[in-house]
Amino acid sequence: MSKRQPLTESPLQPARTRSYHAGIEAIAEYLPPRMATLRELDTAGLLAGSAETLASFGFRTVHLAGEESNLDMAVAAVEKLFAENDIDRGEIGLVLYATALSSSSTMWNAEPTRRAKRDQQPNDSNHPAREPVLELDEVADLFRYPASQLQSELDLPNASVIGINQLGCASIFAALRIARAMILAEEDLKSVLCVSADKFPPSRQRDLIYNVVSDGACAALVQRGAERNRIVECTHVTKGALWDAGSLENEILAAYFPTARTLIERTLEKAGLTIDDIALVIPHNVSLRSWEILGRLIGCPPERIYTENISRVGHTVASDTLLNLRRAEESGLIARGDFLLLFTFGYGLNWACMVVEH
Amino acid sequence: MKRRSVLITGATGAVGSELLRRLAPGPETTVSALVRRGGERHGEIASILSDIRPAAGVSVVAGDICAGPTLGLSPEAVAALTRHTTHIVHCGGSTSFTLPLSEARRLNVDGTRNILEFARCCPSLESAAFFSTVYVSGRRSGTFAESDHGDAGFGFVNTYEQSKAEMEALVRAAMDELPILLLRLSTVVGDSRTGAVRGFNAIHHAIRLLYNGLAPMIPGDPGERVDIVSSDFVADVALHLIDNQPAGGAFHLAGGAEASTLDDLIGSTVDSLLRFRPAWRKRAIERPLLVDLDTYELFVRSVEETGNEVLRSATRSIQSFACQLAHPKLFDTGKTSEALSGSGIAPRSSLDFYPRVVRYCLESNWGLQQC
Repeated sequence: MSKRQPLTESPLQPARTRSYHAGIEAIAEYLPPRMATLRELDTAGLLAGSAETLASFGFRTVHLAGEESNLDMAVAAVEKLFAENDIDRGEIGLVLYATALSSSSTMWNAEPTRRAKRDQQPNDSNHPAREPVLELDEVADLFRYPASQLQSELDLPNASVIGINQLGCASIFAALRIARAMILAEEDLKSVLCVSADKFPPSRQRDLIYNVVSDGACAALVQRGAERNRIVECTHVTKGALWDAGSLENEILAAYFPTARTLIERTLEKAGLTIDDIALVIPHNVSLRSWEILGRLIGCPPERIYTENISRVGHTVASDTLLNLRRAEESGLIARGDFLLLFTFGYGLNWACMVVEH
Repeated sequence: MKRRSVLITGATGAVGSELLRRLAPGPETTVSALVRRGGERHGEIASILSDIRPAAGVSVVAGDICAGPTLGLSPEAVAALTRHTTHIVHCGGSTSFTLPLSEARRLNVDGTRNILEFARCCPSLESAAFFSTVYVSGRRSGTFAESDHGDAGFGFVNTYEQSKAEMEALVRAAMDELPILLLRLSTVVGDSRTGAVRGFNAIHHAIRLLYNGLAPMIPGDPGERVDIVSSDFVADVALHLIDNQPAGGAFHLAGGAEASTLDDLIGSTVDSLLRFRPAWRKRAIERPLLVDLDTYELFVRSVEETGNEVLRSATRSIQSFACQLAHPKLFDTGKTSEALSGSGIAPRSSLDFYPRVVRYCLESNWGLQQC
């Protein structure tokens, strides 16, 4: 890991002319060991749609959290990051904890309440440990925040925390964008930990707008002067008119492709690049068919879109893109200096895109 | 002025109604409007003529163009009509893109065959105008001349096109024996002065899908022409040709070189929606993407596989005509322009009147509300 470097230029200087930058220095993930096939999900009543259709859209298996809570998965991903890299915990100045599901950021909803714990019998199968209990004991419970708990569990004494939780699957992109902006803006901030973790409610059907949801977590270290994955441009568009995921599914589906193409083209233009300059597109793990279509729309051939994890991992909500970036690197598909285009889409309704220089 | 007795079919349609309104007040003109038996057509005819005072009587004749050469009329009625009819204006049939081929043939081919048989029995016949479509050109691309006919082996996008091409073959075969005008219409979108639409078609449905944010992509090239015309222009041209009976053959009632590009038309749609329904901006709906046919078909196939009924219905309704956009063509109007020379009738740029049509769609909620 590179050590703290002195600022030599004003943060007010345009980003592209600065000698310093921010990049994604390291990534680690946690995927629950328990897996299920589409057939198994279907048998368990966890699919609303047809398993055959979902298979034709590229899905095969997903990861299912068992006893692990959201926080457990987040901690596991970060500890793996620390274990694999020489990171000084004291240098982490900020934790951005990005979650997609509402249940991931409301602890009174995600954890057994004190009364529930008190009343719970040891073998009470109705209230197994760490299962959500929709009960609020005290108003103070509304102020129990997982981002702070994460900082505490990770022992990050110098890190302040920010929770990001209203951008669906795009929440980790918001974390990366904020991390980059704050590193460039604040002289004493060198390292930011971006973490995403989401555990789907266990009894809920796992297919959402023709994608199959997996549980998982990812952690990324964003650093000033990172030696790889320099963040060149990030863009984000929100269409609040489509906020109601429940009643506007058709409009959301129809809005996806036009907005995605517009955003990708805008991001490339801001970066001074074309799609031909992109060595690999790092997608979110939504339907393979949707990437076939989007690839055509942006002029990117399928072999330059990393879709390996769609079938074997599924859609880990906010963690897909970072997970895929790590796997693409491990697979030797990208080389130093390659430009990569990262893209995701989340309820809210949010589209986010990023160009990084590996 | 010489007396004329007109038999018109399809008088409640987008073009037929416009023609009826212009024929009815004509001096020395008698109009018989053949309407389908059993419907509410009498009332519709009255509604069409509500604000004009016909100079001569307009009689509504209940029949059926598919019921053989008698058109479903009594022998007495047939005898009277054939004896007096000097002009036939055949706008009847179906303009649906989604009928099974057999049904489209029954309405458009068999119906025309019966009208031709009827025409042969009219001793005073001076003109028989048959309305077709420029889209008998099917999937062929490039310039489609008035002397061209059929799909040239490229196939058709829908059963409407195919049945009309087959109907034209019957009409052409009769040109040597009857005073026939074959009038090929472009897509009629509404009145150029008021935007009023009589007979909402695929274009209007596409506007509604865009308005509702359910039209993510359309096959086609931004620079290709989309030929649309107003109902009043079409009526003006048709009546001029009927009155002057130029040498036979097909005439294109189309925008031709005045047709706007697909990109401009979509832009005009979006601009009009924003202008006439400012709150629509809040919905932040993107312009539909213009994509190649393969991409569009992949998208349609995916929607079909999802089983999502709303999107499936939306893509199907676009698909019934949108694939035509993937086969760009220019409808040559040379012969029609020559016939119109000195008349003062000429096509206008569609962008001049199209916004009024969009406004009418909005204000009438696509025909569901009285404007």
